[in-house]
Amino acid sequence: MKETGLPAIAFNRIACHDCDLLQTTPRLAVGEVAYCMRCDAVLFTNQKNSVDRSLAFAITGLLFYIIANMFPFLSLKALGFVQEGTLFSTSLSLFKAGMPLLGILLFLTTILFPLTTLLGTIYILMQVKRDKFNDYTAPVFRFLRSTDTWGMLEIFMLAVIVSLVKLGDYADVVFGISLYAFILLILSLTLMSHSLNPQDVWTRLRNNMADQP
Amino acid sequence: MSSLPTRQTTNDEINSRIASEINSDDDLICPCCKSIMHSRKPNSLNRTWALLITAMILYIPANVLPIMAVSFWGDGQPDTILSGVMQLLKAGLWPLALLIFVASIVIPVLKLIILILLLVSINTKAQWHPKDRTKLYRFTEFVGRWSMVDVFVIAILVTLVQFGNTASVSPDLGALSFAAVVILTMFAANSFDPRLIWDNLPEPELADESEQEDDSVIEMNGDRLVEK
Ligand SMILES: [Zn+2]
Repeated sequence: MKETGLPAIAFNRIACHDCDLLQTTPRLAVGEVAYCMRCDAVLFTNQKNSVDRSLAFAITGLLFYIIANMFPFLSLKALGFVQEGTLFSTSLSLFKAGMPLLGILLFLTTILFPLTTLLGTIYILMQVKRDKFNDYTAPVFRFLRSTDTWGMLEIFMLAVIVSLVKLGDYADVVFGISLYAFILLILSLTLMSHSLNPQDVWTRLRNNMADQP
Repeated sequence: MSSLPTRQTTNDEINSRIASEINSDDDLICPCCKSIMHSRKPNSLNRTWALLITAMILYIPANVLPIMAVSFWGDGQPDTILSGVMQLLKAGLWPLALLIFVASIVIPVLKLIILILLLVSINTKAQWHPKDRTKLYRFTEFVGRWSMVDVFVIAILVTLVQFGNTASVSPDLGALSFAAVVILTMFAANSFDPRLIWDNLPEPELADESEQEDDSVIEMNGDRLVEK
C-alpha cells in the first residue's frame, strides 16, 4: 500500500461518478448545478449557505426525532381495548411474533439509521463550521453517505397511511402526536439532504489537511 | 508527489498518469479519507450476478408463501402478496391496491429485469444507448427501496391488531423472503458499477478543455473516485 500524489490533478478535474468521464471542474454561481457533459449525472451543486442550512435542518430534525419516538403514531380502538403503536414497539412486536430478522430490519431502517444520519450530520457540519477536523471526520462522513438509502422513514410514513386506510373500516384509528412529529421529521430530513452538498465538506476537509501538513 | 499539471498538460497525459498509478499492484490509499481507491467497484459483475440470482430464488417463496395471517375469532386466513392486492380491489380500495401492486410486484420484477439486462449488455460489450442504460440504472437505484412499504404495513398491522383471540395479525415467512428480495436487489444495484457501461465505448472527445480557468479550488469529492 502506498500513498499517492493524485490530488495534484484533482485541483481542476472532476471524474463523473457514473461514467468516469474526466472533465474540467466548472465554477458555479450560487444556485447552479453541474451536470456531467456525457451522462447528465449531477456532479455537484453550489447552494447558498449550504452548511448552515443543512445544520439547522439536522438539529430541527433531531428534535422531531425525539418527539416522534416518545409517543405513539397510531392507536387502534376496538372492543373496548386500545392498542398503541410507537416506532420502537413496531420493531419489538416483530421480535415477539417470532420474526427477529424483520424486527432488526425495522429497527435499523426506521430508528437507527435516521438517528445516525442526524447525529452524524450534526457532528460533521459542526466540524466544518469550526474548521477543525479529526481522524474520524472522513470515515464518519463516508459512513453517512453509504447508509443514506437505508433510512426509510418516508416509506414507513407511506405504510402508516396504507394501514390507516386498511384498518379504518374495522376500528377507530386515533392519530398520535408522533404522527405530526413524524411528518415534520421527514420534511427536515428531506430538506437537510437537499441542501447539503457533500463537495463542500470534502473541499473544506481537504483544504484543512493541506494547510497543516 | 507528482507536480501540478500545467495549462499545457493534455487530457491524455493526465489520463495515462492516473492509469499508471491505478494499475500498479499496490493498493492506493486516498490521501484525504484514507480508504482504498479502486478505479471500478471491485468484482462488480460477479457480485451483482450472485446477489441477483439469490434474489430471484427467494422471489418464489416471497410470492408463494403467505406474508401474514389475519385471524378473526380464531378463524385464521393467510395472505400472500397477490391475494392481499386482490382483497383491496374487492373492498373497492383500488388506489391502495394499485400502490401495493406497483410497490410489491411491479418494482421488484422491473428491477430484476433491468439489472439483468444491464449485466448482459456489459457481458456482451453492447454499445447501445449508454446514456439511457445509465438512466435505467439510476431509476432502479432510486425506486428499489420503496418496495419495502408492504413489509412496513405488515409490521404496523402486527403491532396494532393484537386483540387476543378476537382479532390478531401475525407475520409469516413470505414477508421475510420478500424483505430479503428487496434488500438483496438493493445491494445488487449498489454493487453494480455504471461506469462499466461506458468502458466499452470509444473515448469521448472533450470540447473547450483549454478555455476553462484552471485555478479553481479542489472540487472533487472523496466518494466519487473511491469505493468501499
Ligand atoms: Zn457522467
